[in-house]
This record gives sequence, C-alpha cells and structure tokens, in this order.
Amino acid sequence: MTSITSLEREQQREARRIKHRSWVTSYLMILPAMAFLVAFVIYPTISMAHMSLYYGNAKNPYKKWMALGNYSMRDDFWVALRNTAAYTGMALVLVMILSILFAQWMYKSRKLNNVAQTLFFTPHLVAGVSAGFIWSWLMSSQPYGLFNTVFNALGLPSVRWLDSTSTAMFSIVLMNTWKSVGYYCLIIMSAMKSIPTEIYESAKLDGSPAWKTFFKITIPMISPQLFFLLITITTGSFKVFDSVRIMTNGGPGDATRVLSMYIYDYAFQRNNTLGYACAAGIIMMAIMVLVTVFDFAFVEKKVHYQ
Amino acid sequence: MAEIVFDKVGKAFGDVKVIENLDLTIEDGKFTVLVGSSGCGKTTLLRMIAGIGPATSGHIYMDGKDITHQPPEKRDIAMVFQNYAIYPTMSVRENIEFGLKNKKVPKDERDRRIAEYAEIVGMTPYLDRKPSDLSGGQRQRIALARAMVKKPSVFLMDEPLSNLDAKLRAAMRVELIELQRRLGTTFVYVTHDQIEAMSMADTIVLMEKGKIQQIGSPEEIYHQPANVFSAQFIGTPPMNILELGDGIRYGVRPESIRMSPQRMDNMVLYRKGHVITREMLGAELQYKVRLSNGITIMVRSENERDDVEEDTDVWVMAPARHIHFFDADGKRLGHGGPQNLLDRLGGMNE
Repeated sequence: MTSITSLEREQQREARRIKHRSWVTSYLMILPAMAFLVAFVIYPTISMAHMSLYYGNAKNPYKKWMALGNYSMRDDFWVALRNTAAYTGMALVLVMILSILFAQWMYKSRKLNNVAQTLFFTPHLVAGVSAGFIWSWLMSSQPYGLFNTVFNALGLPSVRWLDSTSTAMFSIVLMNTWKSVGYYCLIIMSAMKSIPTEIYESAKLDGSPAWKTFFKITIPMISPQLFFLLITITTGSFKVFDSVRIMTNGGPGDATRVLSMYIYDYAFQRNNTLGYACAAGIIMMAIMVLVTVFDFAFVEKKVHYQ
Repeated sequence: MAEIVFDKVGKAFGDVKVIENLDLTIEDGKFTVLVGSSGCGKTTLLRMIAGIGPATSGHIYMDGKDITHQPPEKRDIAMVFQNYAIYPTMSVRENIEFGLKNKKVPKDERDRRIAEYAEIVGMTPYLDRKPSDLSGGQRQRIALARAMVKKPSVFLMDEPLSNLDAKLRAAMRVELIELQRRLGTTFVYVTHDQIEAMSMADTIVLMEKGKIQQIGSPEEIYHQPANVFSAQFIGTPPMNILELGDGIRYGVRPESIRMSPQRMDNMVLYRKGHVITREMLGAELQYKVRLSNGITIMVRSENERDDVEEDTDVWVMAPARHIHFFDADGKRLGHGGPQNLLDRLGGMNE
C-alpha cells in the first residue's frame, strides 16, 4: 500500500517538474525578444515621458522641472501635424489603390507578371536613404533631372517637384509609394490567390458583371489583408522621416516638415528644447494609438474573417 | 426544360487531350448522372455545359441552339459546386439573391422566390446568418436554393454530396431525387460514387479516360454491362472476371454466386473452392474464396442459410442467366454467342 502511494506521489512530483520545466523553457525562449522590447521600446518610452516634464538638453535633460509646461504646443507643431496628416492621407489612398490594382493585374500567372512582380518588389529592398537620394536626382530641377528632361522631350512643361510648396509633399509620397507598393501588392495578391476559383465561376454563372464581382466578392474576401494594410501604412506613414530628411529636409519653407522631423529638430538641433521634443513625441504616440484604436473599434467591424 | 446535345466535342488543356470526338445526348427532364473515376472527363463535360470551361472543338446544343461559345450567364443553367462555392462574405439571403439581382428581377418577386426556395430546402430560419455559422449540410442547402431560385432549364451538380458525412449524404440523395421529380427539370449530376449514380439516375453515362463506356438506365448497366470496365465499375465488390481461354473472359457478380458444401442442381458453373475470409456486414456476408486453380474471387450473400465457415471447402456455383461473357477487347458478347460459350464453361466444371 505505502509503496503505491509513494509511487503516486513520485509521479505527481515528476509531472510538476515537467510542467515547471516547460514553463521555464517558454519564458527563456521569449526572453531575448522581451529584453529588446524593454531596452529599446518600454524603457525609452517611460524615460521620454519623464523627460517631457523637464527643461533641458541631451547632455542634461533634467535641468528644470516644468510639470506639463512642455505640453502647450507651439504654432509650428500644428503645421507639422497637418503635414504629417496630409502625407499619411495621400500615402494611404495611393498605396492602397495601387496595391489593389497591381495585384488584380498581376493575379493571373503569366510570364510577364513574374517579371513585373520582381520589378515591383525590388524597390522595397533598397535602403530608404538611397532611394531618397536617387529620387532627389530624378526629380531635380537641375539639367540632370531625369523626369523633367523626359517631360521636356515629350513637349511637356517642367514640374518643380521638390522645389515647390505645392508639389514637394506629393513628390515624397510618390517616392515612398514606389518603394512600398510592391510589398503591399504581394500581400494583396496572395490574399486574392487564396479565393477559390469556384466562387468566381459561381459569380459568372450568377451573371455578375466584373466590377460587381470585384466589389462584392474580391474586396470583402481580402478585407483582412486590407485592414492590415490600413494599420501598417497609417502607422508607418505617421513616422516617415528618412525620405523627407534626404529629399527636402522639411522644405521648401515648412511644406514637408513632418512630426518626426519636427521632434528630431527640437531634440537635437536646438538648445534646451529636449523636454518639449519629448512632449511632442508623446503626443504623436498618443495620436497613433488613438487612430489604431479607432480602426479596430470601427473599421474592423467591416472586415470579414474566414 | 432542355435537351443537351454534344456533337463531336473535344477538350484539350494545352497538349493534353482530355476528351476527343465525344457525342452524347442528355435527355430533357431526366436525371442524368455522369459517373467515372477521377480524371475521366466527367467534370470537364459538366463545365462545358456550364460554359466555364469551353470546348476546344465540336459543338454543344441546348434545345437545338448552339451554345458552344455562349457566356455562362446567358445559358439558363445553374450549377452546384463540390465545395458549394458559397459567397462567404454574404448572408444566406444575399447568397440566394445575388443571381436574381444580377438578372434584374424586381424586389418583391425576389423576396417571394427566396421565401419559397428557402422553405423548400429548410433554410428559412437561417436567412440572415453568415455561411461561416452553418454546417456543411446547411451550406449545401444554400447552394441548392441559390441554384433553384434562378429557375434554370438545366441543373448542373458537381459531386455536391461528397463533402457530407455518410448519413447526411444518404438523406440528401433522396431529397435530390424528390426535388428533380417535383421540378421536372433536366439534372446533370457528376459523381465518382457508383452508389449515388445507381440510386439517383434515370440515365447513367459511364466514362473512362475521356470516352463514354456505356449509356443506360441503372438496370441496363447492372444487368447488361457493355464491357469489362462497365461490369467492374458498378457493383461492390466488383464483378469477378475469369479466363475462359482464347482471350474470352467470363464474369459473375459476387452476389450472383451460390456457395454451399453440397453441389446444387440447375447451375451452369461448378467450381471447387476454399473459403479464406468471411466478413459479416450486417444484412450481408462477404467471402473471399480461393478456387482450385489458385485464383481468388469475391462472393456476397444475403442469405444466412448459405453461410459457410472460414477455412472450409465449398462448391462455387452460378446459374446461366448470371454469367456474362466478354471478348478479347473486353466487349460483352450479346445473346446468340453465349450458348456455345456456356457449353465450354460447363466443360471446365469440376
């Protein structure tokens, strides 16, 4: 009798040991990711929030307690916010529409499409800074500016691209669209390919015209991927920095000064405005969180998950 | 109502010819089943009728009108797909309504028809649900309602029951037969399942490798198989085919064989055998028997009096009317030939 009980007890102990061991293994496995998250996201965020309450610079961020004084934003902040919103809006619409159109076009497997896919995707592999430089040259109003040279050769007038307040932002959007559309297009295309062909055949038998099939069947069926694009493009565009820095550095005037550049300026290019820059960063983060929450609360209802 | 005629129809995918020079008439108002193993071309034929996989040669006529190159929506047909092809983002009602809206059927007429056909398939309580909330059987019913609501002249069905469990499949089989009788519409039904074919069809079209092997009623196909393929395709287990010599073969269905320790009278075929296995299948018994020449055959019996034990010696016997003869090409030898063959068979008796 006693031997059986002790055996049972031993088995229980063994089970506990195994459970404990797997618990330890799981946490060990996510430890590297957690460590990076803490070191490079959570800790900086907290310290940014802390610094936003002080007057100081990068060498000595905590010169003077300001309480919420840094959160009364200067006028140029609203310009930067408006620019960022304009950039995000244009990028979102352009990238979404082009990704869907290109995906629809490349959906059929033809030889041409394999080539086209590669061509579309390659820009995604180019470093943002390099792409910015290349496009600065392409859009340059100097004699070596390729776009204007081609325009003039076709008898079209020159465009001032990055040199005019009215076209500079759109020019940057154009560059970033070129850079990212291949990647998003690939996501949309694989979603389209997962739609069973019978559904399209059935729609044909139901006499559905092509546009109706597209809006009533294709779009709803790729809505999870479209939602993913909405979130990633919005948050990604809100943080746009390198291309703007290279192509216009915020100019002409303040026409392309976006939030991340604004924050960078106040944090590292000016005297004793680090706290203010941190406050702007916190506000930018809050806006992104709000937009994402809005997307999940309202837009996601329209998303059809399988 | 519609009769469909295939006239020297061919279909090639690239260089691969799936169907060549095929002639077939599908009768108006009948339940026609295209049956064959996978890759035999039956679905290809169905898709040609639907217009979603056009023929590469020849002509297809519907009620005398050439529809070979007509787009699917102009064909007055409806199709039920194997995976149902329900629109997953639409509610049940929207699914059924979609085709009608495209045909510009007025709203009140649409509502009336949806109500009518939802009732027929028993989906009325689910009209506002999404397909993802429904079971396989219910989705199948949506697909049926979606097809029926268009009131087509021809119903096309591509293995519509193969994704259902056995019990539901049997129930739906009966419902489909009833439905066809009620609507009186031409049904063209594709399946690889010989039991479905036998139980549902007015006419069976048996296919293999893009060629039609036999067209006939279930009775004809069962009792007068045109060839060895036909004989072995229909029936479980398949017909036993044995050599008679000179390329001639004879066949006996497992259920037509009598087996007993005693030699019975009035039989034509008498062979000695040894029972290897005995399977109890409920109403039936199934045996694997080795004949004295080493060949094994299958025997099925519904008669428990005929039951024999495993590992016993028996007489394997069959009456003349259940013995089929086939020539070297596998073609069944009709009446007139068999008497001398029966004599030859008798000569080999033990």
